[in-house]
Amino acid sequence: MKFSYNWLREMVQGLETAPTELERWITIKTAECEGVEAHGDDHVIEVDNKSLTHRPDLWGHHGMAREVAAILSHKLLDPVKPVKFPSQPSAVRVIVDDHFLCPRYSALVFSNVKVQPSPDWLQNRLEAVGLNPINNVVDVTNFVMAEIAQPMHAFDSAKLHGDEIRVRPARAGESFAALNGESYTLDAADLVIADADGAIGLAGVIGGAGSAISDATTRIVLESANFNASCIRKTSSRQKLRTDASMRFEKAQDPVNTVRGLERAYELLQQVSPGIRLVGGLADAKRLRAAAAPIRLPLDWLDRKLGRAVPAAEVKRILEALEFHVEEIEPRTFSVTVPSWRATKDVGIKDDLVEEVGRMVGYASITPTAPLTPAHVPYHNAEREFHHRVSEMAAAQGFTEVFNYSFVSEEMVRVFALDLAAHVEVLNPIAADQNLLRSSLLPGIWKNVTDNARHFDSFRLFEIGNQIHPDGEVPHFAAAIYAKDDGAAGLFELKRLAECLLPGVKVRPATDIRHYEHPQRAANLLHGDTPVGRLFELHPKMVEAGRAAVLDLDLAVVQKLEPEAARYRPLRRFPESAFDLSVVAGPRVLIGDVQSALEALAGEALLSIEFLREFALPDGNRSVSYRLTVGAPDRTLAAEEVGAVRSRIIEGIQAAGYQLRV
Amino acid sequence: MTALDQTISELRDAALKALESAATLEAVEAVRVEALGRKGKLAEVSKSFGKLSPEERAQTGKLLNAVKEELETRLEARKAALDSIALEARLESEWIDLTAPAPGARPGSLHPVTQVQQEIEDLFVSLGFAVMDGPEVETEHYNFDALNIPPDHPARDMQDTFWLKDGRLLRTHTSPVQIRALEKLGPPLRMIAPGRVFRNEEVDASHEHTFYQLEGMMVDRDVSVAHLIYFMKTLLSAIFQRDVTVRLRPGFFPFVEPGFELDIQCLICGGAGCPVCKRSGWVELLPCGLVNPAVLRAGGADPEEWNGFAFGLGLTRLAMMRYGIDNIRLFSSGDLRFLKQF
Repeated sequence: MKFSYNWLREMVQGLETAPTELERWITIKTAECEGVEAHGDDHVIEVDNKSLTHRPDLWGHHGMAREVAAILSHKLLDPVKPVKFPSQPSAVRVIVDDHFLCPRYSALVFSNVKVQPSPDWLQNRLEAVGLNPINNVVDVTNFVMAEIAQPMHAFDSAKLHGDEIRVRPARAGESFAALNGESYTLDAADLVIADADGAIGLAGVIGGAGSAISDATTRIVLESANFNASCIRKTSSRQKLRTDASMRFEKAQDPVNTVRGLERAYELLQQVSPGIRLVGGLADAKRLRAAAAPIRLPLDWLDRKLGRAVPAAEVKRILEALEFHVEEIEPRTFSVTVPSWRATKDVGIKDDLVEEVGRMVGYASITPTAPLTPAHVPYHNAEREFHHRVSEMAAAQGFTEVFNYSFVSEEMVRVFALDLAAHVEVLNPIAADQNLLRSSLLPGIWKNVTDNARHFDSFRLFEIGNQIHPDGEVPHFAAAIYAKDDGAAGLFELKRLAECLLPGVKVRPATDIRHYEHPQRAANLLHGDTPVGRLFELHPKMVEAGRAAVLDLDLAVVQKLEPEAARYRPLRRFPESAFDLSVVAGPRVLIGDVQSALEALAGEALLSIEFLREFALPDGNRSVSYRLTVGAPDRTLAAEEVGAVRSRIIEGIQAAGYQLRV
Repeated sequence: MTALDQTISELRDAALKALESAATLEAVEAVRVEALGRKGKLAEVSKSFGKLSPEERAQTGKLLNAVKEELETRLEARKAALDSIALEARLESEWIDLTAPAPGARPGSLHPVTQVQQEIEDLFVSLGFAVMDGPEVETEHYNFDALNIPPDHPARDMQDTFWLKDGRLLRTHTSPVQIRALEKLGPPLRMIAPGRVFRNEEVDASHEHTFYQLEGMMVDRDVSVAHLIYFMKTLLSAIFQRDVTVRLRPGFFPFVEPGFELDIQCLICGGAGCPVCKRSGWVELLPCGLVNPAVLRAGGADPEEWNGFAFGLGLTRLAMMRYGIDNIRLFSSGDLRFLKQF
């Protein structure tokens, strides 16, 4: 929204503050300014529209003038002079079907109109605030809109059918040719202004082409109406048409303002179209909401909210400068009546008044203060703390953290053999191929691997992120090691990382190989019987040069498996005995199975088992060596007892089909 | 001096001479065995003591013991000297070039946003705040309605929303966690909620559809604007590691009333005006305000009894400021050339 400095000066008596200084005041007290630019002998202050979202009154200069007058303690002048319209029937009959959607529709009819270019002062004003001068009649409607935030519209009376204007819902599929040359197909939820023949205006948004003002126009119907903000906003977004009018109406304009708009326009039309004649009286179809009850404002409460005391007289002065009505109903309690232009949506509760007083006394006048509240240990977020530990451990082991988008393509879903139907789909994706929410971190990790392989010979990376499923989100940890080697080292490094993150995790070769996995290098990770993740090498056809090992862990499950508090066991008082065993295993026998067999056979006496080495034998078998340590808690095992354990293991392991290498 | 004394003296000289040329521990041991061993030369000498008179025996015995002691001392000294030479030689041979690279993986690093986020989390935890989480897929209720943003409220235009086919949405801010935290923990409450948020925006060097925010909220009895400013100054002074000057000005956010934009005095020019602050002396940093009573009610807290403040910090933007990053797209690029810098 652009504000003309000269225009504001007309309404703020004695305003001498320089435009740049005024811009600073408005920013600090009212709304964010984006700059000041010279425009002829005027200056234009641009205010961020987003900061006016809640202030219907600031969509006109008079509203901003009120702020300026209050900020700088000047007198505010009203540009609208009351007019006593003839008390005879209007020359146009207005019927409003639904006053919820159109609380008020006011109109005047003028004859003897002479359409011509506006005088320079009017054209300059409009150009300064970014509006295009069209002709004197249209320019007056735009001027009033820019001045008091009341959008208006002029119809060429000769082009209307019948002498009745009806505000009604559009018929579904009804076609409407607008002033801008476009044609719109309307929805039953849109509101139209119609004559006997059909829609002549899309309410609150734009007028119709058929009844537009032309050089030949001599008689006009001047509309000044108020529409339901939500209705206008919906129509505007449905029809993808935002106009100066719709932007104002969707902020909830003041219904009281419609007649003020006509009063101001009447005065201006007499200036720009000399000889113009008002025909009949005022048409004013309305059903206004009862004014809201005054707000009870306890001053001690106000002081507590602000964190500083504001004298009662100062509170009163500020609110009255903003044209609130203030009455002291009991000691240190005000009853505050909200002016109609602030009451539509903006100010309704006492908290809203905290802002009015606070911004005007200045937040800089409040001393920062530590609260006096009991100290307590905050809620412990174990999940987040766990994620921090995981990421720090990964980083310490050489992994660099990446963030990937939550969006994936259907193509990725296919590549990673995910269930397309089990994906949450975006209605309005950023791009057609980013329409699904990731149900796995793997597509992102794969992209990271292929992207970075262009710049590095080897690297490690990881991500912690949410898998998104229709029934919830599951945090996962995914990591990759890329190197130009045979790939084994990366897999074992990831296995080691998994063991660091979850002591006791076990690896079981996968039988359900997915097509993006190396068929001989994929395993499930388990803790006890609980699946916790997957360890695999990406299929070589997925990685151009080099190998990529990948670890994928379900952090929600892993966190729950975190060990309980450690328990002390007394140190052993009796010596233990150790012996080595070398087992001959076939080429694809799992070392993990050999170890489990040894552990089971050793039984209670086993204190620890340590993998020593593995090497290939000439016949293709492998020799796998372990050191087993045995002992008893209450005595030293005799040599015969140790021998018995050893024999039991040897017999058992042979019975299980292994050979022993002596 | 008896002939025996003479022999002892000669044996001593011979042993010392041999010791002098002994270059190894073995040679020293050989000297010891030859001179002092059970079958050594001095032992031989003592066998002929029987032929001496008692006086001579006492005299010669004394000499023999003195020589033995002397030899033993000298033997030990020689051994120690040889040990020390051997150790030195070993140490000398064990030279290592410690400028050579250590084996194993180089340390990795946490994402720059994670680093900034963890720092702020630690700060707030130390101030008694809980760290809360909420889902990335949210309902319209938590993302908008409960935050006093009803349907068709113009404020919904401020945040371009990714809508999902099932009617839900991707959260456009971390503010829904205000409601979730109130529901879960109730007042009094101090919490922050960092996380990923989404806006359906065209991506360029300074706009991303996915970025990170940190929500903060304190709900207690009589929480004031003065408390809000205190926490914001504390937070920002810790983040920027110097005393920062802040100012509040009106800002509109439906979930707070009054609502503020918080600016900090430009850290580059100190408020004098420079290109970074667009010559205003101030940099807009975070939106904040006192929690709107409607939000408290939506979270199940009675606004007549409780009130609070809330703020939202752009973590991605903060990371850009801290590290001088000029392209927001790098954060989600997964490009290790970028990420390894932190």
